[in-house]
Amino acid sequence: MTDMFTKAAWIIPLLPLAAFLLLTAAGRSFRSLGPIAGSAASLASFALALLVLLERLQDGAVDYNNSFDWISIGSYTLGIGFEVTNLTTLMLVVVSFVSLLINVYSAGYMKNDERINVYYGYVSLFVFAMLGLVLSDNLLALYIFWELVGVCSFLLIGFWYTKPAARAAAKKAFIVTRIGDAGLLLGIILLFWYMPDHALDFTMIESVFEGGTGAIAAGITTVIALLIFLGAAGKSGQFPLHVWLPDAMEGPTPISALIHAATMVAAGVFLIARTFDIFQASPAAMDTVAYIGGFTALFAATIALAQHDIKRILAYSTVSQLGYMMMALGLGSLTGGVFHLMTHAFFKALLFLGAGCVIHAAHTQDIRKMGGLGSRMKLTAWTFAAGALALSGIPPLAGFWSKDAILAAALEANPLLFAAGLAAAFCTALYMTRLFVLVFLGEPRFELAAASKVREMPPAMTMPLLTLAVMTVVSGFAETPWNGWLSGWLGDEAETHAGWAAMLASVAASLLGLYAGWAVYRKGALQGGAAVKERVPGLVALLERQYYIDELYAAVAVKPVRAVGTALSAIDRYAVGGLVKLAGAGAGWAGRLLTRLQNGQAQGYGLAAVIGLIVLLLAMLGRRFLT
Amino acid sequence: MLPSYLTMAAILFCIGLYGALAKRNAVIVLLSLELMLNAVNLNLVAFSKYGAVPSLTGHIFSIFTITVAAAEAAVAVAVLIALFRARGTAQTDEFNQLRG
Amino acid sequence: MFNIDLTGEFLAFFVFAAFMVGGAVLMISLEKVVHMVLSMAAVFLGLAGMYVLLDAELVAFVQVLIYAGAVSILMVFGIMMTRHGAEREEPARPLYETLAAVGALCLFGLLFYAIRTTDMPAAQPFDPGEDHTLAIGELLFTGYLVPFELLSVLLTVAFIGAVALAKKEEE
Repeated sequence: MTDMFTKAAWIIPLLPLAAFLLLTAAGRSFRSLGPIAGSAASLASFALALLVLLERLQDGAVDYNNSFDWISIGSYTLGIGFEVTNLTTLMLVVVSFVSLLINVYSAGYMKNDERINVYYGYVSLFVFAMLGLVLSDNLLALYIFWELVGVCSFLLIGFWYTKPAARAAAKKAFIVTRIGDAGLLLGIILLFWYMPDHALDFTMIESVFEGGTGAIAAGITTVIALLIFLGAAGKSGQFPLHVWLPDAMEGPTPISALIHAATMVAAGVFLIARTFDIFQASPAAMDTVAYIGGFTALFAATIALAQHDIKRILAYSTVSQLGYMMMALGLGSLTGGVFHLMTHAFFKALLFLGAGCVIHAAHTQDIRKMGGLGSRMKLTAWTFAAGALALSGIPPLAGFWSKDAILAAALEANPLLFAAGLAAAFCTALYMTRLFVLVFLGEPRFELAAASKVREMPPAMTMPLLTLAVMTVVSGFAETPWNGWLSGWLGDEAETHAGWAAMLASVAASLLGLYAGWAVYRKGALQGGAAVKERVPGLVALLERQYYIDELYAAVAVKPVRAVGTALSAIDRYAVGGLVKLAGAGAGWAGRLLTRLQNGQAQGYGLAAVIGLIVLLLAMLGRRFLT
Repeated sequence: MLPSYLTMAAILFCIGLYGALAKRNAVIVLLSLELMLNAVNLNLVAFSKYGAVPSLTGHIFSIFTITVAAAEAAVAVAVLIALFRARGTAQTDEFNQLRG
Repeated sequence: MFNIDLTGEFLAFFVFAAFMVGGAVLMISLEKVVHMVLSMAAVFLGLAGMYVLLDAELVAFVQVLIYAGAVSILMVFGIMMTRHGAEREEPARPLYETLAAVGALCLFGLLFYAIRTTDMPAAQPFDPGEDHTLAIGELLFTGYLVPFELLSVLLTVAFIGAVALAKKEEE
């Protein structure tokens, strides 16, 4: 009885799958079926996930896994199954909770869209894939769901496919994450090669790599770990594969909240957490992860300072926070990474949904054209403020506790990364303040005709905001420096430390950033921004153009590949096509030649008969000669 | 002497064949056909004198051939006149109704 | 075959042969149609001479009567009835004519080769009697009676058909 729901956990992904199939069958009719089916499925999944969580919270809960043999090739059997550990349970709850809220929110946001059933179908498919990814018990099954998640992301980013920008963004997302996925696949293959019995399930990986490299050489372990990190970097938008995330904002805002803030981009962090034993066995890989994570955190935070699109600012913020998570994992703190993943899911989803309300109200995404929305959209403004404060790391909100866990680990292990984390926290507070001030405070700067239409959004869109705000406040207390409950539950070393230095430093950095933002952008005046631009125009341009990385990639990678593609296409069209046309023309030419023989003139036919006769006689004569 | 007669007949036959195939005036084609038939007659008569079983069969056969050829020539000229009335021309390359 | 004994027969053969071949070649190479018919008549006459050399007097006579007489005139009539005014310049078709010439030459080559390599039977005496005509007549009305009657039917049909074909359409 105590693990009845744990045993039934495999049902959890299948409910959204059923919703997807139902919505695909429904097509364009029954427009109200979309929200109902999607929300019902995710509600059911969430309820089941909560029940599983309650079971796992009991003492003496044992990890459970179950699989069935899928393919047998020779002596190797590939199984597919699910595994319920504390980590996977936590992810189950987070994913199903956020997806439930997104389903409800989308009912209001996508109300007037014609393809709403398609949208809900894709969302349900995505939830199925993400939940399957979370529950997978071996790397190959995880990889299958990983790819499926990428496909759903592609479909959803390009949901409004009539916009060329959306199509381009979807392609970019898929191609850039593909580079990461190729790395992951190579890592899996190497692992398959070297693991005893070619086993790929996580329990085997844990037992082989626990306590340092035993069965597998150190060099190979590092390579495997780095390849897996490449896959994670692609999905989680680490430098240099971060370029797809800001462009992915072309998709609908609820999608940005669900996929590109809370769940899919967290899949990379989850992957590293699942295969953490491989990383811990290779110090070089850990260092790489930590440094790239730290660099990305600071790098993306600086870019966000100079962006004008509200969703892009939030996208770069996501990249930066993912960098924090990677940094935590690289420093050896599994708890730090996963805890920040959980809190970030809540407050980033909150921020995106709030941004969606703002965009819906003001009909623009440019923050320079907004202002003074706070007085008309009180609920949105308050919840957005809660999210922004959490993101900046102000106590007692969730973001503070999780960021503190990361910075404490950094201070212990690597002061350079601690400094980078601190600087990124300062920038985070700065740009969030800038965003909040420019959007919600001050005088309205948008066209006056739209001003009267600005009002609070319908309950379908505001209820999720409230729920997430509550979670933002509450969820931080799962792991405080004085009571490391989460770390114990996840199986990490219980990190109880009264590290005042880290806490004080992070609070100081955040407050400094808040103040700086207030001072410069005070009360909605754009002169602050203009003044900064005057002083350091070069720096601002660099940040605004995202360090010109997109242009660099276009010149170095995109152009040559496209040139090769054009050349090959030319070969196909002219050489191969030319040959085909030649064959056709040859047949036609031969036919036309033979037509001339049939010109209706009896004398021609007679000549043909005579020539035939001569040939026959010669043949008979020849036979007499040869035999 | 037989081979010389046979060669002679062969020459006449081939000249007649060329004329039948390559001439454009229909009357000349008919004339070439007559030439071919005459060559055959020469063969028959030569064999009737110098062949394996000399007899008068060759002569009779050639008389028959001459008769039939004459009848055929008459009918052919009649056909040609009818065609000329219908088509207005006697050139063989104008008659291409059979073209496919 | 090339052991030549210059007899009268041999000479006559060559004269007649020259007549025939010359007439035939002229026929296919002259320009005007009427000239062609005349050279054809020469061929027929040459042939008649050949028949006489071959002891086939009746055939020679019939040849002169029918071919050199009736058929040639028939052809002239045909030419008369199927000409309309000036003769146009006809487009040459060299490829076709060359091909026909080549075909004819090849055929001649084959026939010549066949004649050369065949063992001709030894010449045997041939004596149908003094009067060939009487012998032919006897044969015609005894052994070959049926073909004779059929031929007469054929001739009847032929001339009726020719008249029917060449008749002008009634208005």
